[in-house]
Order: sequence, then structure tokens, then C-alpha cells
Amino acid sequence: MGRLGEVLRQRRQRREGSLLTYLMAGSVPPETFLGCVRAFRAAGVTGMEVGFPFSDPMAEGPVIQRAASRSLARGTRWSDLLALLPQVSGELPVAVMTYLNVVLRHGGEKALTELREHGADAVILPDLPLEGLRDLGPHRRTDGLDIVLLASPATGEERLLRLARRTGGFLYLVSRYGTTGLGGGTTPSTRTHPLDLTEEIRQVHEERPRLPVLAGFGVRDAQDVRSFLDQGADGAIVGSLLQDRLNEGADPSELEATVRSLVEGLSSKRLGLDATRERGL
Amino acid sequence: MPEWYGPYGGSYVPETLIPALKELESAWKSARRDPEFRSRFQELARDWGGRPTPLYFAERLTRELGGAEIYLKREDLVHGGAHKLNNALGQGLLALRLGKRRLIAETGAGQHGVATAMIGAKLGLTTEVYMGAADMERQQPNVLRMRLLGATVRPVTQGQQTLKEAINEALRDWIANVQDTHYLLGSAVGPHPFPSLVADFQSVIGRELRRQSRARWGRDPDLVLACVGGGSNAIGTFHPLLRGPARLIGVEARGSGEGPGGGAASLVRGSVGVLHGMRTYLLQDEEGQILPTQSVSAGLDYAGVGPEHAWLKDSGRVEYTAATDRQALEAFHRLARTEGILPALEPSHALAVAIQRAPDLPRDQHLVVTLSGRGDKDLAEVQRLGPAR
Ligand SMILES: Cc1ncc(COP(=O)(O)O)c(C=O)c1O
Repeated sequence: MGRLGEVLRQRRQRREGSLLTYLMAGSVPPETFLGCVRAFRAAGVTGMEVGFPFSDPMAEGPVIQRAASRSLARGTRWSDLLALLPQVSGELPVAVMTYLNVVLRHGGEKALTELREHGADAVILPDLPLEGLRDLGPHRRTDGLDIVLLASPATGEERLLRLARRTGGFLYLVSRYGTTGLGGGTTPSTRTHPLDLTEEIRQVHEERPRLPVLAGFGVRDAQDVRSFLDQGADGAIVGSLLQDRLNEGADPSELEATVRSLVEGLSSKRLGLDATRERGL
Repeated sequence: MPEWYGPYGGSYVPETLIPALKELESAWKSARRDPEFRSRFQELARDWGGRPTPLYFAERLTRELGGAEIYLKREDLVHGGAHKLNNALGQGLLALRLGKRRLIAETGAGQHGVATAMIGAKLGLTTEVYMGAADMERQQPNVLRMRLLGATVRPVTQGQQTLKEAINEALRDWIANVQDTHYLLGSAVGPHPFPSLVADFQSVIGRELRRQSRARWGRDPDLVLACVGGGSNAIGTFHPLLRGPARLIGVEARGSGEGPGGGAASLVRGSVGVLHGMRTYLLQDEEGQILPTQSVSAGLDYAGVGPEHAWLKDSGRVEYTAATDRQALEAFHRLARTEGILPALEPSHALAVAIQRAPDLPRDQHLVVTLSGRGDKDLAEVQRLGPAR
């Protein structure tokens, strides 16, 4: 198992909530990116999700789409990601998030090996279904690079348990119907709300008691983080909220303040001790 | 229904869509054995859709070229003006069966958007169509038609603002609204079961063609051509002929002949990758980023292609080639003047290759081009591009 999965597992055991923060590589210069990573670490983040751009990111809302376009327009290449990773992993455990075509084009299994050698602990591919794991070769879940699978509110129980058994490091539970983002889709019809996932999380933990479950998509504030933990999740993943500010030119110290406020959502009480708070979820 | 065509196909989509894809597959499996569904489908295809379409002997064109006899499979005469209705009708009825109240679609040339708007109106379903802003500009008549049919047209302003981006947006909408929405995908592309579902609905073209050619000259045609964007009219034409002796040619768009992607010829110029839920041939760079495309015809202007075509290419059963913007325009004008038919720019690509090859074939051979749509939508674009040489 990768270091990220290990850390998340220990925190689960200690009943400490975790927070992963996402930013798109190449959407800002590497110094700014690393400044953010250091600031997030100082704010108490558990791990970093490093996005790598794909031209056609079907699971992303407008904020991350814009970050991907910007990154590609700046000429970001796979080699830039490999150069960035060791520096990020010097600060925090790292998951790389990109799309399957990028990994396949760089050799599939070979690309995964490169990611691991450059310090990544895990890889998240939103367009890789359970059935596609074999496309990445026998490498999966070995050698310290976890392939993290995603589950969704649409996933039925039987499949959810299969995902729980096959995922590496942790299970990424998408919190709602929709793409990444703060709820403002490209069109009114893509605006959706987080759902109550208490039952799904309980089922996963029953199947694999040590497996961390992290919920993501649409996290806006500490309340959202809190509510995931109240539903039994081991942590939350926040992306568009931070990337949006970065797109608008915020600097690392401004983002650090935002992340600190999110981290408070983790610590206001310990995991799984009181009932789900309402808040229209 | 095959999910894999050799190594091509699959369903590489976010987890949220997986249950809907499985549900769609099982709905089709049961619907196609349901006599009530079938008779409703056939009745609408006939009385509303205008099927069967004629197999037309292009006599003057044949004489001018002096080789094989040229026939046109007249999908331009289907209601709405293109083959797209064959699929929209079938999927519309499936959506109803699934209890979905809302249809979404992508469209390039606007023909699939129009077909979806028509079936949406007919079945009383809310219809929203994603269309690249650049395509809205060059296919304006179809934008107006969709609106008059009661559909909402949603401009897509990302990237090149053409078909690929429209599919991205439709997929994102579906991810958000999959519980009450059917994504009525318009070509033989995307995640399983769409490529085989669309091929099933479009195969009426090839079945009729086979019957008509056997009735007319006692055997299958010798050479059959169809244009390939995503590949739905081509796969529908080819499917029923695959086991027979006919030579089959799929024609992609080479655009102006320049540019990094070489137009939009993913089979002729591309490499294998994963886009829009399928493993297939793509126009992509060394980094795995999808390349910009360019073609005079919005319906062929796409960096991917249906997975079954990828397999038919590898297996050698179908030959794939490409025609340039210029060649397609010349074919457009030629058909207009010799046969009194204004073809869409998409099948004009297939016509262009037919015009090249016919003179070299013996006169007793029969060549068929699937005329996938009519050219009314392209008049402004053709005028802008100037007269044929
Ligand atoms: C008339 C016509 N022919 C062909 C196509 C290309 O689609 P396909 O390759 O799926 O047949 C289109 C697409 O818009 C079209 O409108």
C-alpha cells in the first residue's frame, strides 16, 4: 500500500478525520503550486491530490475544466508532472488524478511505475471503471501505488462492495449526482446537491473495516466536511473550492486560510460519535 | 450485444453512469423481443419516418463517369432529412420504456439534434440538445428547426466548440441527471451499449439495401461506400453486408488536408486511446491530449470513431479512406447538377470517393453510396465556400 493509504488507515484507526486537497498541476507556476502544498501542510491537510490535465475531462465541472485548459495552454507535459511529484511528496502523501487516456498514452503500467518512482502513492482515474483495472496490467495495488476506485450514489450495494474490495488505499465516494464543482454546472441542469451517504459508508466499512472512505465533489466549507464525517466518512476531498480561488489569482497564504477553516471541520469533534446533522443533505 | 470489438469498445465512464448503461442494455434486450415494442417501432418508422427509403439509380452520374452503375441509398428522404431518425426513434421509445421524462443529445451537423427534437416532441419528452457554438453558426437552419420543434439548444463554448465538446457536455449533464434523463447518443460511439445499440437501429439501412439490391440485380452490391463521422450510417449500411461479398469503404474527412490531425480522419490517421467512454482510434498527440480537428462538414468533424469501425479496420474487412473538403464540395455540386439532389456535406465525402473509383470499375458492377442526409442545412456554408472548380 502507498503511504497515503497507510496514513489514512492509521487516522481511521485513531478516529481522526482526514482532508485531501486537490489542485491542478500546471494551472499555476510550479513555485506557486508548491507554495500552496506547503501552506496546506501547515494548515493540517492529510494528503495532496495532484491533478494532471486531460483535454476532455468528462467528470469535471467548469472550475477544473478551466484549470485544465489553462494548464494545457501553458504547455504542461507528463515530464512536468514527474518533475513536480517528488517535491510535493516531500511535503505530503500524494495521489495523482487524471484520465485514463493520459496514462495509457504514457505506457499504462509503465506510466504507473513512473508515478510511483517519482513519489506518488496513489492514482485516481474517474473514467476507469472496475472492469477496466485489467487495462493497467498486473501492477495494480502492488509496489506502493494504489489505484483508487470511485463509488457513486448511483452504485448499487453489490457493486459498492465489489468496489470496496478492489480499491487501493481508500474508497473515493462521490457525494452526489454530478461533476466536480461547487454546484454551479455549465447549465442549470447540472446543479445538484450532496446526498446522505450514511448507509453506503456503513456497508463499505462492514465489508472492509479498515478501509478509509473519503467523500468528495462539491465541498464548500467546514460544514460540508463535518457532515461527511457525521455520515461516517473518514475524510473529505476538496478541489474546486480551492482551484477556483487559484484560477482567480489567490496566493498560497489566502488559500491556507480557507484550508484552515476546512480542517476545523475535522476537529470539532471525533469521528462517528453523534447523529447525522440535518442541513438539508 | 457485444461490448468488445476485438480490443475496442468498453465503458470507460464515471461510476455514476454505470448503472444507467446496464439498465439501458437490459431494456433493449427485452424491448427487441417484445412484439408490442417492435410493432410500434415499425409503424412509426414507416408512417412517421418514411421508411423504407428507395435505392435510386443515378443514371446520369453513371453515364458521365462511364464505369460501374451508381446507386444511392436515399437516407436523405427519411423524415428530418437524415438517417439520424432511425436511431432517435428507437432510443426515444426505449427512454419511454425506461420511464425517463427528459432527453438530452449532442449534435454536430444538427441532424441528430433535429431527430431527437422530433421524437421528443412526438413522445412528449423534454428535450435539450448540446451543440458547439461553432457548429450552431455553420448549421443555423438546424438550430432553428430544433427550437421550432420545442427543444432547448444549449451552446457549448469550450475548446473547439464542435461535436467533441458537445459530447463532453452531454455526458456531464447525464452524470448529473441520470435518474430522470436518457442520453440519446447520436452515433455509434460512446460507452457500451451505445455503439451496438445504435448499430442495431441503423442496420435497417443495410437490410433494406441488401433486399433491394437482390431484388433488382439478384445479388449484393459489389462496392458500398458510406461516410464515417462517429460511424452510425456507415455501420448501419455495412452490418448486414459484412458476411457477404461486397467491398466496403468508409470515408472520413481529411479537411483542408493540413493541420496536426489531418482533418478529422481518426481511422486513417489516428492511434488507439480512450475517449468518451470507448477504446478506439483517436486523433491525439504524444501526450494523450485530443487534437483539434477540421472539416467542412460538422457531422464528420470529430476526433474519435465508433469502436466497431476500429475493429473492422484492423481486421481488414472494411477499407477506410478520407476525402478533403474540396473533393466533398465538388461531389456536392456534381450530384446537384447531374441528379437533381442536394446532398449533405457528410455523404458528399463518400460520393467523392465513389466518383473517383467508379470509372475504373466494369459497367456490370454495382456501386452503392449511402446518401445519409440532404444538403439543405449546408446551403449557406456551400455558398460561403464558393462555386465548384
Ligand atoms: C447527414 C449526416 N451524415 C453523416 C453524419 C455523420 O454521422 P455518422 O458517422 O454517425 O453517420 C451526420 C452527422 O451529423 C449527418 O448529419
